[in-house]
Amino acid sequence: MKAGLFIATAVLYALACILYLLLLTRGAERARRLPGTVFVAALGAHIAFLLLEGPSTHELPLADMSQILSISSFGIGIAFLLASYRFDVTILGAFVAPLSLMLFLASGLGSSYAPVSPPVQSAVLTLHIGANVLGLVAFALAFAAGLAYLVQERLLRRRQLSGVFQRLPSLDVLDTMSLRAVLVGFPLLTFGMITGTFWLLRSDGSQFFVSQALGLVAWAIFAGVIVLRVAAGWQGRKAALGTMMGFLFTLLVLAGYALRAAAEGG
Amino acid sequence: MRDFVLVGLSHRTAPVEVRERLAVPRDRLGEELREIAASGRFDEALLISTCNRVELYATSSDPIDAAKRARDALAARLLDFAAEDALYQERGVDAVRHVFRVASSLDSLVVGEPQILGQVKEAFDAAKGAGTVGTLLGRCFTQAFATAKRVRNETGIAQGTVSVSSIACELAKKIFGNLEGRRTLLLGAGEMGESAARSLRQTGTQLHVINRSEDRAHSLAESCGGRAVPYERLTLELAEADVVIASTASPKFILTPEMMKGVVRSRRHRPLFIIDIAVPRDVDPRVGNMDNVFVYDVDDLQQVAEENLSVRAREASLAESIVEEELGAFVTWRRSLELAPTIVALRKRFAEVAEQELRRALPRLDGVKDSDRAVLEAMSRSMVNKLLHQPMTQLKAGAGEPDGALLIDAVRRLFALSEEDAGAKEASTEGSGEAKVTQLTTAAAGSSGDST
Repeated sequence: MKAGLFIATAVLYALACILYLLLLTRGAERARRLPGTVFVAALGAHIAFLLLEGPSTHELPLADMSQILSISSFGIGIAFLLASYRFDVTILGAFVAPLSLMLFLASGLGSSYAPVSPPVQSAVLTLHIGANVLGLVAFALAFAAGLAYLVQERLLRRRQLSGVFQRLPSLDVLDTMSLRAVLVGFPLLTFGMITGTFWLLRSDGSQFFVSQALGLVAWAIFAGVIVLRVAAGWQGRKAALGTMMGFLFTLLVLAGYALRAAAEGG
Repeated sequence: MRDFVLVGLSHRTAPVEVRERLAVPRDRLGEELREIAASGRFDEALLISTCNRVELYATSSDPIDAAKRARDALAARLLDFAAEDALYQERGVDAVRHVFRVASSLDSLVVGEPQILGQVKEAFDAAKGAGTVGTLLGRCFTQAFATAKRVRNETGIAQGTVSVSSIACELAKKIFGNLEGRRTLLLGAGEMGESAARSLRQTGTQLHVINRSEDRAHSLAESCGGRAVPYERLTLELAEADVVIASTASPKFILTPEMMKGVVRSRRHRPLFIIDIAVPRDVDPRVGNMDNVFVYDVDDLQQVAEENLSVRAREASLAESIVEEELGAFVTWRRSLELAPTIVALRKRFAEVAEQELRRALPRLDGVKDSDRAVLEAMSRSMVNKLLHQPMTQLKAGAGEPDGALLIDAVRRLFALSEEDAGAKEASTEGSGEAKVTQLTTAAAGSSGDST
């Protein structure tokens, strides 16, 4: 049952990816709503899957790596639906859906992830993970908008103005969306960093050194992007590049934890 | 045989000075039509008058002569013999194809523009109001509207726009999203620049005009609804504008990288879209390499327009095939109104009934000899012939009359003779269906002698 639901969710995500990409590259006018519908179906299957494997009562939520990845994937999907309602950027599904799919598949390797051992569990840890997951979700949207901005800008400079250029949103919308997502994600990331450090100090946590360093780099990048944007009026390509870089570093942090958990679990 | 006639002129054949002489204001359309129909002795008449075309559609049982009269009617209004060359004429199926193409916006100046369909509908309503539309024009235009609808729904011809101004607007929208409240700076007073600025103004941007000659700047600003700014303020204006349209007559670059570096800094990297439609160019191409500055020159715009056009050409050929399809359907209907196939079909229908009844009756008679059988067969045949004699005579007589088509239509309906029937019969009786189509095109020399 669980495995079946996992496969169904993954297949729906993959199908949504393909349909979104087709909509972007081919512009199937008649099937404009189809990718979104499939994506919502994937989210539906995903929520069923989450409920099915939900945490047992004696375990804190978000306590193992598999769940964190799964919830992040789901959160990105939900946030994207909200954003596309707000900004009319449905077509960005072509960039968001692959992210969802990737994280969901990574969560499926979860059998090999060891749950965090009970002694290190605490409310602070839950706060730390929750804030970071939400931050990751916001940065994922910023990443998708930034990537779309780069594509769009390149097409504009190369004078390739039919097809994809017509279907992607305007540069202004993409830039605004990316900025807002970073502005939402950054406080969450900051809070996550503080709670993480706090928790680390309480347990003997020197072992997380690499992930921490990566997290700090991501934080610094986002801080830089925000400062340059707000203080120096930065816009466009460089801001998009910075945002994407920051997101990649947050992914690296996540990957670091996942690898460690896998090593411990294996 | 009644057939279609079209005489007119359009943007393809005549400049605006000539077209405006023929144009008929909307409120006078009905009156004018009645006059034309009466003086030209047309059975039906319809007049389309837009800023790009004036066309008179008519039907008459003598199409060749009618075409001449229609041409004279329009030429008389032109008051200029030289301009008469601008008048084109079509007859038969070519005239019908022309209406279908006009209504589908395939003959428009900007192919795919949506207004023309409404204008044709207006012309149709006016003609109906004037009582100059009958069976043929009625069916023809109704099908033209259906064709236009199919073309719009089934092809991409109505999407995308082509002129340089509209491309400038489209690009600006793709960069800035909403243009409301953005600022356009018109630099120089070229004509193309003016029209681009005007279209941008219509999308809700503010417009500032800057020019070496301040008088010119003032008059331009006034006519476009913008604000004139002194030339000394150029760098300041550049820092505040979102879209710059450069169209000065300057022989060398006005916007240089050195100058723009300061501008970009003072505008804090906000995106700037520069449209350089001046020849020679006003903007150093290196400016286009700067971050958040996008420069499009005339060639770029032209290239975009041509790409757009080639997309349209593809869509247009699709649209043409829809027109031909609908035309085929119309010709089938039209052919069903012709006398010969109707008579053949009518005869066949009667003969079939007689034959059926005979076949059913014969087995019930005991010991019918072959000679008796022959008598019975002869009797049923002659009965059919007698019964058909009067209707046939009337049909043949009516063929020359204006309402001949109506009569044929009535007979077809009374005896349920389908349109396809007519086509099939004809193909079998006359060898090829093509013959009738060409007859429609060449209008059979106008004689009603095809009532064989």
